[in-house]
Amino acid sequence: MRKKRVVITGVGPISSIGMGQEAFWNGLLNNQDHIREHKEYIGKELWETFRYHKIENFDIHQFGIDRDKLKRIKDWKEGEENEDLNYLLASVKLALDDGKIKNTNDYRIGLVLAHENIGLMPFGLKISGLAYDMLIGKSAQVLGKKDFYAVFYEQFIKSGYDVQGFPNLFHVTQTFDIKNFSLFVNNACASGLYAMETASQIIKNDQSDIVITAVSDHSDIYKYVWFKEIGIYSEKGYMSPFSKNADGILIGDGAAGVMLEDYEHAQKRGAFIYAEYLGGGFDLENWKITVPQIGSQSYQSAIKKALQQSSVAVKDIDVLCAHGVGKKTIDGYESKAITDVFGKNPKDLAITAFKGYLGHTLGASALLETIIILLMMKNNKIIASKNCEDVDPQHHLRLVEKTKECQIKTVMKICCPFAGFNAAVLLKKG
Amino acid sequence: MFSHKKIRKGIRMKKEEIVKEFKKLLVEVVDVDENKITGDAHFFKDIGIDSLKAIEITVAIERRFKINVRDEQIPQITTLNQAVSAIEKALQEKNA
Repeated sequence: MRKKRVVITGVGPISSIGMGQEAFWNGLLNNQDHIREHKEYIGKELWETFRYHKIENFDIHQFGIDRDKLKRIKDWKEGEENEDLNYLLASVKLALDDGKIKNTNDYRIGLVLAHENIGLMPFGLKISGLAYDMLIGKSAQVLGKKDFYAVFYEQFIKSGYDVQGFPNLFHVTQTFDIKNFSLFVNNACASGLYAMETASQIIKNDQSDIVITAVSDHSDIYKYVWFKEIGIYSEKGYMSPFSKNADGILIGDGAAGVMLEDYEHAQKRGAFIYAEYLGGGFDLENWKITVPQIGSQSYQSAIKKALQQSSVAVKDIDVLCAHGVGKKTIDGYESKAITDVFGKNPKDLAITAFKGYLGHTLGASALLETIIILLMMKNNKIIASKNCEDVDPQHHLRLVEKTKECQIKTVMKICCPFAGFNAAVLLKKG
Repeated sequence: MFSHKKIRKGIRMKKEEIVKEFKKLLVEVVDVDENKITGDAHFFKDIGIDSLKAIEITVAIERRFKINVRDEQIPQITTLNQAVSAIEKALQEKNA
């Protein structure tokens, strides 16, 4: 069997600075962010106030998705909206449109969907409300334990079902008539990179000619409260990766759809090729969920494995797109890995970090930032790292400070997420 | 018996032994003057240990004492007394 090459032929960004390729790219060029203050009320009582990168005016019906299919989802969910799923649907549609796929039945198309915690927010709110009503509120009833469990079950099961990956995989494959090999993955913030590698292997194993990868994240109160409790939410109100004043994240709404395809298949149908997916390196640290193991070589190992898999030398990389979380411990962990592999203040390597524009879109971040890389390659322009004017010298890194014209050939995207699912992938322009 | 043998054999360590072992660990990991390591001296403010080194110390604690430090405990360990208390508790739970 011939050795297949895998290329990227469609992108679908959904973000707070723009939805769709053109708006998204313009948002980056114009150095935008869209941070808003949100007040979370429970009834009339204020629970928390927080800032985040917000998508405004999102309407799932604006993307040209079959309305009957959307209604089927709404019927299953008994009218309950799930913005995470809607973002996924929109990003997949945008990627298909960008890749000029009009009828999915004409191709062998697979899907790799990813999400860190799909359905958790509606589920959490629903059972909180149910528990309150049943135990304390107006409709409190005197029930035995078994009856309480039974009544509660009947009320929450629909929402609870959709916390699982497979119903959402079903909704997306059914909506777009995707019939080939499909998978749901969750590797925290590195989900997008794991999804791309998986898609690449599906294509190389001849299961599909095209595989859409898609990840999303809709910001919500639970995420804010959790990150605040573990001391990782920015108090100053914006993200500044690797900077002296880095104090944590702001969560951000976002979704990304990226279409991978067999190179010969893409050429035959005359598809626009953004870049070749050369390969990835993955290393599991296996220490803690929320804290990186300072002193480990896991992240370095993932980066080196990616270079090895792709037969690329360190000197051949033009741009490195860091995870850039803007929390001192994680930035320190990441800068050590970068300098161990590439050297301190590497001269011929442009290093970027994009979360200043988008916030931390959690599971969607790696794939959404991959789309930025692909657009940089397409437009021969490198995007500056936002809010990174005062990099902490302890990191021994020089970040791209100005958006400028630049021929970009080979880019590495790296990610050091929670739970130590360290990942690195390489892309090369043809 | 040496402390590391006690740890390996699961024999209960006295508090003074834990303090001694932890101080030794701290000097190895952070290269700090042992005289500065007093009970309530703050790692960041008084001893000059940064947040990255604090995590390295946790890694070393787990290896040396063969215990698990929970994620949420890590930012709470900022003095000798807090570290010793966390180690004691983890050893008690382990040996229970």
